[in-house]
Parts: sequence; C-alpha cells; structure tokens
Amino acid sequence: MKKKNGKKWNKYLYAGIVMTGIAVLLGVAGFFWTPYSTTAMSAAEKFSAPSLRHPFGTDNFGRDIFSRVMRGLGTTMLISSLVVFFSGLAGIFLGAVTGYFGGILDEAVMRVTDALNGFPSILLTLVIISILGSGRQNVIISMSLVFMPGFVRIVRGEFIRLRDADYIKRARMMEVGKFRILFIHILPNIFSVFWVSVMIGFNNAILAESGMSYLGIGVQPPDASLGNMLSDAQGYLQSAPWCALAPGLTIVWLVLGFSLFSEGIRRWTSAAVNFV
Amino acid sequence: MIRIEDLSVAFGGTEVVKHVSLEIRDGEILGIVGESGSGKSVTALTLMGLVSDAADMTAGRILFDDVVLREAGKPCDRALYRRYQGAEMSQVFQEPQTSLNPTRKAGKQVEEVLRLHTKLTGEEIRTRVLETFRAVGLHEAERVYDSYPHQLSGGMRQRVMIAMAVILHPRLIVADEPTTALDVTIQNQIVELLRKINREQKNAMLFITHDLHLARRLCHRVAVMKDGCVVETGTAEEVFDHPGHTYTKRLVEAVPSRMKGKAGPGRKSGELSAAEAKRGESEIPEKGVAGNDGTAPVLKVRNLSVYYQDGKSVQAREQTEGPERKKVSPGNRLFRKRSQCVVWNADFEIYSGESLGLVGESGCGKTSLSKAILGMNRHIEGEIVHNSVRPQMVFQDPYSSLNPAKTIGWLLQEPLRAAGALDKSLAMTRGDRETAARDMLRRVGMDERYWGRRPSELSGGQRQRVSIAQALITNPGFLIADEPVSALDVTIQAQIMELFLKLQEEMHLACLFISHDINVVYRMCDRIMVMKEGHIIETGETEEVFAHPTEDYTKLLLWGS
Repeated sequence: MKKKNGKKWNKYLYAGIVMTGIAVLLGVAGFFWTPYSTTAMSAAEKFSAPSLRHPFGTDNFGRDIFSRVMRGLGTTMLISSLVVFFSGLAGIFLGAVTGYFGGILDEAVMRVTDALNGFPSILLTLVIISILGSGRQNVIISMSLVFMPGFVRIVRGEFIRLRDADYIKRARMMEVGKFRILFIHILPNIFSVFWVSVMIGFNNAILAESGMSYLGIGVQPPDASLGNMLSDAQGYLQSAPWCALAPGLTIVWLVLGFSLFSEGIRRWTSAAVNFV
Repeated sequence: MIRIEDLSVAFGGTEVVKHVSLEIRDGEILGIVGESGSGKSVTALTLMGLVSDAADMTAGRILFDDVVLREAGKPCDRALYRRYQGAEMSQVFQEPQTSLNPTRKAGKQVEEVLRLHTKLTGEEIRTRVLETFRAVGLHEAERVYDSYPHQLSGGMRQRVMIAMAVILHPRLIVADEPTTALDVTIQNQIVELLRKINREQKNAMLFITHDLHLARRLCHRVAVMKDGCVVETGTAEEVFDHPGHTYTKRLVEAVPSRMKGKAGPGRKSGELSAAEAKRGESEIPEKGVAGNDGTAPVLKVRNLSVYYQDGKSVQAREQTEGPERKKVSPGNRLFRKRSQCVVWNADFEIYSGESLGLVGESGCGKTSLSKAILGMNRHIEGEIVHNSVRPQMVFQDPYSSLNPAKTIGWLLQEPLRAAGALDKSLAMTRGDRETAARDMLRRVGMDERYWGRRPSELSGGQRQRVSIAQALITNPGFLIADEPVSALDVTIQAQIMELFLKLQEEMHLACLFISHDINVVYRMCDRIMVMKEGHIIETGETEEVFAHPTEDYTKLLLWGS
C-alpha cells in the first residue's frame, strides 16, 4: 500500500500491519513447517511448562503447543478468510442488485436475510452443521451463510444511498449499461465502507470459528485450531494454564491486530479528500 | 457602536482574515459582500465570539462601545462574551433547516433566550414570545409556538430564528446569509422584515451576503472582502455605482443584471435574430407544425401532465380527467393508488440553438418537468417528442455530479463508451475516444493537466465545466441545465455562463435552462417560461416578459431581484 495523495499514514495502520503480518507469517509457515509435529505425542513431556525447547510448553498429550498454535493459526485464518471472501462476494452481488433495483427481488432477499438474522448465529451454524455434517468445508459453508446477511445489508444500504446520486443519474442518462453502473460506477465508491466491514467480518469470523471449534462443531481433532485447543485446555486451567493461555492470547493478538489494521485503513481512506 | 480594529484570524498558521477594520454604528446596516472563502463568515463569527478554538486571533481587537470584547494574544473571555451574546448581540444563520433544534417546539426554543437573560415569569415569557412572533410576521403565532421545526416552512423557520435574535432587542444583529436558502418571494419578505426591524429598533446590523443585489437593496454601507482583506468600503451607492477597486468592478460586472442588457460578449446579434425567426413559428399553437426551413423543434411538449408517487395504475390516471384535481382519492378501484399531479398541461417547444428559461420557486414542478422530459418519470400524460439524440443534463451541485472514484479523463470518455456499447456504429477506438475527450476538455477551457485528476482535486467551477463537457461530448443537441450556476460564486458563475453561451453557439445546442434566479435566466435565455404550482403561467420572449409581465406572480419575481 503506497502513500497516495492526501492519504495519511497512521500509527493504527502501522501497528495493525506489524501485528497481522507476524500472525500471517506464522500461520502460513505453519502449513509447511512446524518445529515439532503437531500430532506427535510424547508421554514423557506431558504438561511441560514453557521452556527453550517448547516456547509455549506442551499439552496433555505432550504435543508442542507452539507448533499447534502455528498450525491452528493457519487453519483459523484460512477458514476466516474464505468465509469472508464467499460471504463478501455474495454480499456485493446481492446487495448491489437489491439495493439498486429494489422491488420484489429486494423484498424477497431482505426477508430471507432477516430470517437468517433472526436466529442466533451459533444456533444456525449448529443446524447447518448437523445437516451437512462436520468438516472443514462444511464449517466454511455454514459460516458463509451466517455472515452473508451483514454484507448484503451494508452493500445494499450503500447502493441505495448512491443510486440517486447526481453522477449516477447522469450515467443513466448517458445510457450506460446497468451492470456497468452497478460494478464500474457505484462499486468503487462504496469500497471504503465495504473494506471496513470486511475487516470487522474477518475478526468476527476468527472468533466464530474459534467458538465453533470450542463447542466441538468446528475443526475436528486431531487437526489443530485455536478454538479446539482452548476447548481441550479448559480442564487443565489450574495445573497447566499455558495450554489455554497460548491459543487464547493468539486469538487476542490476531483480533486486536486486525482491528487496528481496519481502523488504520478507515483513517487512511477517510483522510483522502474524495471521501469528504 | 461596534468596532473591529485590525482583525486577523488564522487557522493553523494560514491567515483567513487579514487586518480587517470595520465599524458598525447604531441604526445602520453594514453589508459584507464577497465570494466563498473571502473570510466574511469568520469575521462575523469572531465578532460574535462563536469562532471555533482552532482559530487564532493573531492581531487586532474587537470593541463593543468602549469595552474590549477580545484582543489578540489574550484568550477569549467567555464569561464576558456570555453577557453580550443574546442580550446585546445575536445572530441569524443561513440554514433554517439546521439552526433550530428539531426535537423541541419552536416556542420553547425562543423562550429559552428569555429564560436565560431576563427575570420574567412563565406567563410573561409566553406573551412576549407570541408578541415577537407576530412582530416578525408569523400570523398564526399560537400555532407556530406549538410547532416543531419540521412542521414549519423554510421562511417561517427563518422568522422564528429572527424572532429569537430580536426578542431581547439587541444592539447588534449579525445576519449571515439569512436568505440564501429561501425562495425569491420569501427572500423579499425576510429582507423587508430585517429592514423594518432595523428601522424600528434602531439597532446595528451586520448583513453578510454573496448576493450583490441584496446588499445594494438593504445595506446603508458595504464592505467588499476578498481573500480575507476588506478591499473597499463605502455607502452602497458608492461601491456599486462607482467601484474603486478592480475586484469590486469585476464582481459588479459578473453579476447578471437586467440593467446591463443582453448585448454582452458571447451573444451575437445574428444568433438572436435567427432564433427570433424560429420563435415566430413557435407561437403557432397547432400540433405538428414544423418551423421555417423545415426544421422541426428539438423538443415538443404537448399537454404534458406529470404525476408523482403513483403505482402502475393507468385506470387511476384515466379518471383524473379534470386537470384541476390534485389528488386521486384512493378507493373504488382495486389497484388504484394515490397520485399527485405536479405539472399540469405543459405545452411548449424548444428549437435548435435556442435557450428556453424555466423560472419558478422550489416545489413549483420545474424538476418534475425536466425529469419527465428525460424519461426519468413515466407517470405522465400528454406527448413529448424528442428530435435529438439523447438529451443530457447538467445538475446544480458540482460536488455530487461527478463520480468521485474516477479520473476526469475516464469520466469524459464514459459517454462515448456507453454510446459505442449501445450502438456498434458509434463505437470508437481507444485512441479516437481519448482524442475526442481531450478536445472536449480544451473546449470547456481546461488544460491537459486535469486529465488524470479526480473530481475532488477540482474547484466547483472546474467541476461544473467537466460536467458540461461530459454532457456535451456526444453532441446531444439538447441539454437540460438545472440551476447549473446557482451553487457557484458570482465571478465563477459569470465564467460558466459565458461558457454555456459559447458552446451553445458552437454546437447549435437547444437548452432548457432551469433557474430560480431571474437575472441569470435573463442573461442566458431567448425565451422564458414562468412556472407556479405546476402551471406554466407565462411564456414569452425574455425582453417581453421582463418589460411587460402580465401575471402578478411574474411581477413579484421580477420585483424581488
């Protein structure tokens, strides 16, 4: 991201990029290489406290927590970004069409999203998971469905706001094609708002994925995810607190980093004159 | 007597008011005129002690009688100011929409002033408020007292604001563009009211405006501001009739005025007579009569009625035979929806190369009419015959009429792209398109530098130029300009009007020019139509209408400007 005319670099952006950068690096690396195997158990090293050999200690099966955090970080981020990607894409499309054209289609889609919003999200994912069965891609599908209404709402609102802007009226008068108006004329103008909601959505997805794994309906063991690591660790909170601390603090680190990053982006874009 | 001595105000190091000295005597109306950004409002706000803390007073002092209200280098003495604000000096703001609290009744808001500054009891306060309401011309004082701001019209809200400002009989009233947001006829009433208050209460008034006509009519003395400096002060007659400073001269010249006649630069007499010849034809009321030398009008509108807010109920409209019926009552038929007729039986045509002015106040149906012509409102009756490729429109607000996400070059090419996508025979290569766009950019008086910029980097006048270029690049033959210069400063306004006239001549463009400013229309148009409450009440040659208006309403409009 280069510094553009009128766009201001700020501390939030800096801190956010550093924190998320570290997390992304560790997570991506975790898919290819971890210091120890994430599944290798060792009875001799059960519950060993953080040390130089095991920076985050080991868990109840003697597995290296640092390695598992790396892998879990990757899994969690992969799931979250795919969820945000799919639900964001669907949100852009449905929101654009319903917001711009309105009418029956708008009513229908909005009532469906209202219905989706009406359920507690965990309950809804539980239902979908129980129909589809657990597993990584089913987690992604069900979470995408749960996250979609939010994106549809935001995109739709922005399209409603802009569809009667003078420059869009003029584009209509020039007889610019409808889809060109939607995606070439309007879409770039909602980018800053959409981007922030993607960031927030990503954070929520991380938390939701962890929550689902914690409840045991997300990623299944022995695969590592930050949520199921927490869930496993809760029995040993008194005797081996590092088992819970490591994944918990990692979630905090990731979410905080992303929040800072999105706040930084918001300030960065709103500093540019064209959004005044 | 209020004196501003050598006042300088800076925001973050940049001086926006530079060494301004003004004097307002009791019973006098001092006008400050100037374009946006000239520092008039900051001067007034500093005088009132309402300027934000980000402003630094770098030099000078403000004196009320002989009390120093504020001095450079000393912090603002809020306690001292509070004694003067309201009781001794008060302000009327520009926006009647936002200067009243929408959640409280108008009467309560005015009462608050009395409660803070006097020891009157509840009943006395109420009587006093009602008295003041009547004095500022709010006849149904009781009703206004119990109304929320949104239940009042713009003019009434401004009267409430004025009532609030005068209720304590302050020595100084600062009116910052109090009439700008109002319609012409309401504007007149407010100006008369301010004049009356000034005459009766003998208080000093500081009247800030960008409208030179207004300043001339109302003010005793006038100060002209430019870039933070007062460039000229004097009595209104002196300043406007014999401007001493070159900027004042330019300003006075830029104001479109009936007094100056139309034979200004940009309007060729040959053009006029040609248009007149065609116009002779247009008076013939029969349908389908072509103009002389076989040219049909670019736009022909016959018995056009425009409805608003109405479903696809054809039956409903069929039943509203009587043109005077305002609403279709719901009921009877199953699919009938309420519809309101906003334009009745409009009947006119526009010929190639001609400008037709459409004058009227807000809500009279000007915009509905233009929307119907452009096909944006399909709830119409009557006939609209286009003889042009694709009518285009230029809007009032230069800040919202260009897509902020795109560059100027992209924006100018877009109409060509759209035309090419629609009709393969019009498709152009990328190079041709760019050449055409660059050419158009030059024709609206802007150079290549702006090609890669975004609208946010342009001034209001430049944006309006780009809008015009964008509208004309496909050579539409017919253009609707909806208040294209009302949002601009006078000197910029004059430039844009010149540009319009030049392009109109070059491209032989027919133009429907909508405006509330009758002087702008006078400058721009060959013929004018006056619209009131959805009816076109008067049509004719500009000169004719201005010299001998037949309708009372037209006279009122003319008198007001």
